[in-house]
Amino acid sequence: MAALGAWGRAARRGRLWGAARVLWGWRRPQPQPQRALGQDAGTAGEKKDGKPSFTDEAVQDLLYRMTGLDLQKVFRPVKQELKPPKYKLLTEKQLQEATKKAIKEAKEKLTMPPVLDEREPIDDVLAEDKILEGVETTKYIFTDLTYSIPHRERFIVVREPNGVLRKATWEERDRMIQIFFPKEGRRVIPPAVFKNEHLVTVFQQDRHEDILNMCIAQFEPDSADYIRVHHRTYDDIEKHAKYDLLRSTRHFGGMVWYLVNRKKTDGLLIDMIHRDLLDDATSLITLYHMLHPECQSAKEAEERKLQGVDLIKVFAKTESQKEGYIQLALQAYEEAMATSTAS
Amino acid sequence: ALSAGSRLLKGYRGGHVVIRLALGGCTNRPFYRIVAAHSRRARDGKYLEQLGCLDPLPNARGEKVAGLNLERLRHWLGCGAQLSRPAEKLLGLAGFLPLHPMTVTGAERLRRRERAQEAAVSNPVVGGSQEHGETA
Repeated sequence: MAALGAWGRAARRGRLWGAARVLWGWRRPQPQPQRALGQDAGTAGEKKDGKPSFTDEAVQDLLYRMTGLDLQKVFRPVKQELKPPKYKLLTEKQLQEATKKAIKEAKEKLTMPPVLDEREPIDDVLAEDKILEGVETTKYIFTDLTYSIPHRERFIVVREPNGVLRKATWEERDRMIQIFFPKEGRRVIPPAVFKNEHLVTVFQQDRHEDILNMCIAQFEPDSADYIRVHHRTYDDIEKHAKYDLLRSTRHFGGMVWYLVNRKKTDGLLIDMIHRDLLDDATSLITLYHMLHPECQSAKEAEERKLQGVDLIKVFAKTESQKEGYIQLALQAYEEAMATSTAS
Repeated sequence: ALSAGSRLLKGYRGGHVVIRLALGGCTNRPFYRIVAAHSRRARDGKYLEQLGCLDPLPNARGEKVAGLNLERLRHWLGCGAQLSRPAEKLLGLAGFLPLHPMTVTGAERLRRRERAQEAAVSNPVVGGSQEHGETA
């Protein structure tokens, strides 16, 4: 598992981002004005007719705020060649400017990878030549190597031994494109780590972030394997409440989106309250209401215009399964606030 | 020194551009490059442009991988390049050109040979059992 950090870094700089922006019309969220980290009250997003998607401004804003910005974790040392550390002597003003630059770079590192639906399988037959049946024993795969066409529009066809000329499946396409136009960090045949039985080992070692970075480097965002690995990772994190592993990484937004869509937000809510991240908790519930506007707590929140702790209480009463735990956590938080203000 | 220089500037008389398969690889491991070259050049010699490749041995998934730079192929065909027979057959299989008539003929010949073999296999069996029956 050496040099995982290098693969993750390279993936971000690779063709994926340019291609993603061009082909899927997925735009990066506009840079937010400089806010103090995590201190705004969660403003309720506008209700949209029809389901809000992953790429909406309001949704991205909420998810980004929940991700947090722990500079120590974002810029933690990645495995590279050993160089002696460089020390600089800075004035207070220079230090502030350096911190601002670091925050800007961290924001770029935290851009969320796209969340797309699974792609439709291709089965398109171009020609059927019954005459060729049995002449060849193996199939031929022909790839169009024209440099200027995007990979999605490339012609990759297969001539089967029974004479049928068909378009290649998505897996064959990915393999051929990697053979002729290799991308850094991607293997021709996906490594065995991504099989379900081996993912278990990875999760036992708490390396969820590394496996997600590898997955982004290896698979296309709309491929079945990408979605499967991501969902398995999120399920495992939710089962063992290891939310902090992904906090302040670029995968946090995707995880929150997955959990909110499947209404499994209780564990995350409790974790946020335990860590005194009330604003994140309110953002989470606002996002929940945006995605499920027909649920009871959404209607109550809209009627009574709730904010902050009241919102969490209403949510706990109506929508959650682990109501008791949430009440306990809220009580502990309020006691802690009372003692800290008293002392 | 003079002879070396005149070798480099050696011109050919006649000849035309062909798109053909140049053999490379190692012993017992062929690898073809689809190449646009002068017809009078050596098979594996200096070419004008490489237009693709073909691996005649099947890979682990049982496929023979071939790449074709169709845009440049169209350019050379537009410039009046000719194709060698294996190149024509390959492009026919790929669907870029219609199927080569020799591919069809080859398939028909193979089918005829298979039918003849099946007939030969069934006939001696019948003839042999008859003999056995008579002697025994």
